[in-house]
Amino acid sequence: MSFWIVQTLNGLQLSMLLFLLSIGLTVIFGLMHFVNLAHGALYALGAYVGVSAFVATGYYWGAFVAAPVGVALAGIFLYLTLIRRMRDAGPMNQVLVTFGLIFVLHDLFRIVWGDYALSLPEPALFTGRTALLGVEYPTYRLFVIGLGLSVMAGLWVLFAKTQIGAMIRASVDNSDMASCLGINVDRLFFLVFCLGCALAGLAGVVAAPVLSVTPQMGTQILIPTLIVVVIGGLGSLRGAIAGSLLVGFLQTFGAVIAPQLASVTIYALLAAVLIFRPAGLFPAKG
Amino acid sequence: MFFQTRIKTAAIVILLGGLAIYASFAGYYGRELVIDAAALIILAISLDLVAGYGGMVSLCHGALFGVGAYVFASMTAILGVNPWLALPVAVCAGALFGFVVGAVTARTSGIFFIMATLAFGEMAYVYIFENRALGGDDGMSGVVRLDASWLGVDLNNSLTFAIFAIVLAAIAYVIAAFVLRSAFGRTLVGIHSNEQRMRALGLNVWRYKAGAFAISGALAGLAGTVAAQQTMFVSPQMLSWVTSGETLVVVILGGLGTLVGPAVGAVLVTFLEHQLSNLTAYWHMMMGLVLILVVLLGNRGAYGLLEDWLSRKRKPVPKQEPEPQIKQQDRAHA
Repeated sequence: MSFWIVQTLNGLQLSMLLFLLSIGLTVIFGLMHFVNLAHGALYALGAYVGVSAFVATGYYWGAFVAAPVGVALAGIFLYLTLIRRMRDAGPMNQVLVTFGLIFVLHDLFRIVWGDYALSLPEPALFTGRTALLGVEYPTYRLFVIGLGLSVMAGLWVLFAKTQIGAMIRASVDNSDMASCLGINVDRLFFLVFCLGCALAGLAGVVAAPVLSVTPQMGTQILIPTLIVVVIGGLGSLRGAIAGSLLVGFLQTFGAVIAPQLASVTIYALLAAVLIFRPAGLFPAKG
Repeated sequence: MFFQTRIKTAAIVILLGGLAIYASFAGYYGRELVIDAAALIILAISLDLVAGYGGMVSLCHGALFGVGAYVFASMTAILGVNPWLALPVAVCAGALFGFVVGAVTARTSGIFFIMATLAFGEMAYVYIFENRALGGDDGMSGVVRLDASWLGVDLNNSLTFAIFAIVLAAIAYVIAAFVLRSAFGRTLVGIHSNEQRMRALGLNVWRYKAGAFAISGALAGLAGTVAAQQTMFVSPQMLSWVTSGETLVVVILGGLGTLVGPAVGAVLVTFLEHQLSNLTAYWHMMMGLVLILVVLLGNRGAYGLLEDWLSRKRKPVPKQEPEPQIKQQDRAHA
């Protein structure tokens, strides 16, 4: 029994990480049909900025704050120089430019931070293990789960209850109509893009103590994140939640129950969704 | 639409002839580069067929390439089948895989199509990566080259194998050009420019898409057999989406939708990679920057620019070849 509880918590933790990454990607996708393959690289950037901030301040919480801010700043820079031009250039050109960006960022990480894996220690507040439901589970991982859930709740309030959330939903649904109603869709997109980058940075710094920080970490997480986004349906919060839980649990339990099939299952699921429900499980557009 | 213009003929003949001449004068390492380039030419041409002319930007061509390589490798190295039999089987396996991907994804378009091809490609990659019988993540060695001694040719010699690879690249180009000039190819381009209209004309669109993917898969499989024979080794890395992405980069740098361009891109990238990785450890960064620049500058690629320049020199009339839709959108926002 305790084995399954631990696996459930593991699945939940992976799901939260995927959620933090996919929510930014999916809303950017939904708002402007913009495909950002470099989202994974921004996540790696978050982890690297976190490591540097930790070295500079000596506190985990310094890293925790610096990473989202740093990545959001990088996002602003990318937006002004590149993304803005590529917005209406069609999916293929976007895929290509952001693919090029992956190469550039990947080598940039190697130049600035070296080829070796770096690590970030857990914060002192959350070291050790906590007894929960009769199992001992690393406290830091519980923190990751809690953080993911609170971001989820915060975003739900933002999307469902605030004016800006209503504006975002309206623009995802029909951007032409929204701009006719006086919504500045461009500025909204810019805002969402920055928020998405900050969340990617947050995911990076949160993942850093669990995984190791390498230039490849962005490419490794990119594919599962894209799968979450496509399975869930572009542009929808519900879709990102459902997709990340589905992929997170499938990957965790698959690896325990049927290791040979685990990774194939995810792709089979993606293919099945694309064939039977091409718009995803919870598409934002009705 | 595709026309085998004189510029195209001249360019491909000069390119492949140049490779052959280079191979005969170069040392062992230069010949290996030529073989690399030839395999990449075949793969890039196969991708241009569906991406440039069919408008289907595939991220599973690495998998098609790898399936060809693995079928050839497992048949020769494990089952001990005659390579002359394994080669057509590998090509057919690529075609079959391509047909399935094309048929299943025919309904999707845009980013969904890209994601769907990614899913199929990664499925094949993961399957081979975790399959111990095929060597798993270690790959598989002991691949046997074709035995052409009955022709008096020894393919284990690096020069003869380089020439053989160039001949295969030429055959791949000719096949692709014939396909694109046929009614089938014209219909494919028609589907790319207006799928709705082609459907309204009573066309069974998915059949053409799947067919194009099958032909492309066959060529990609052929490229895989060349790569497998060259190093006599196959690794799952051949199937990963990064290979597909890099092939797409080669096509773009050379010139999407020109058929000759991808061949030019393949040669450029192979030789530049060799030169630059001697100079700097950060060769990927260079490639990334060049890629971003090429796309921002209107996505014509090296050969596209050459063609523009030549046709402008001859007559001030706009070029004969209408551009695929994506570029027009791109230009509107430049």
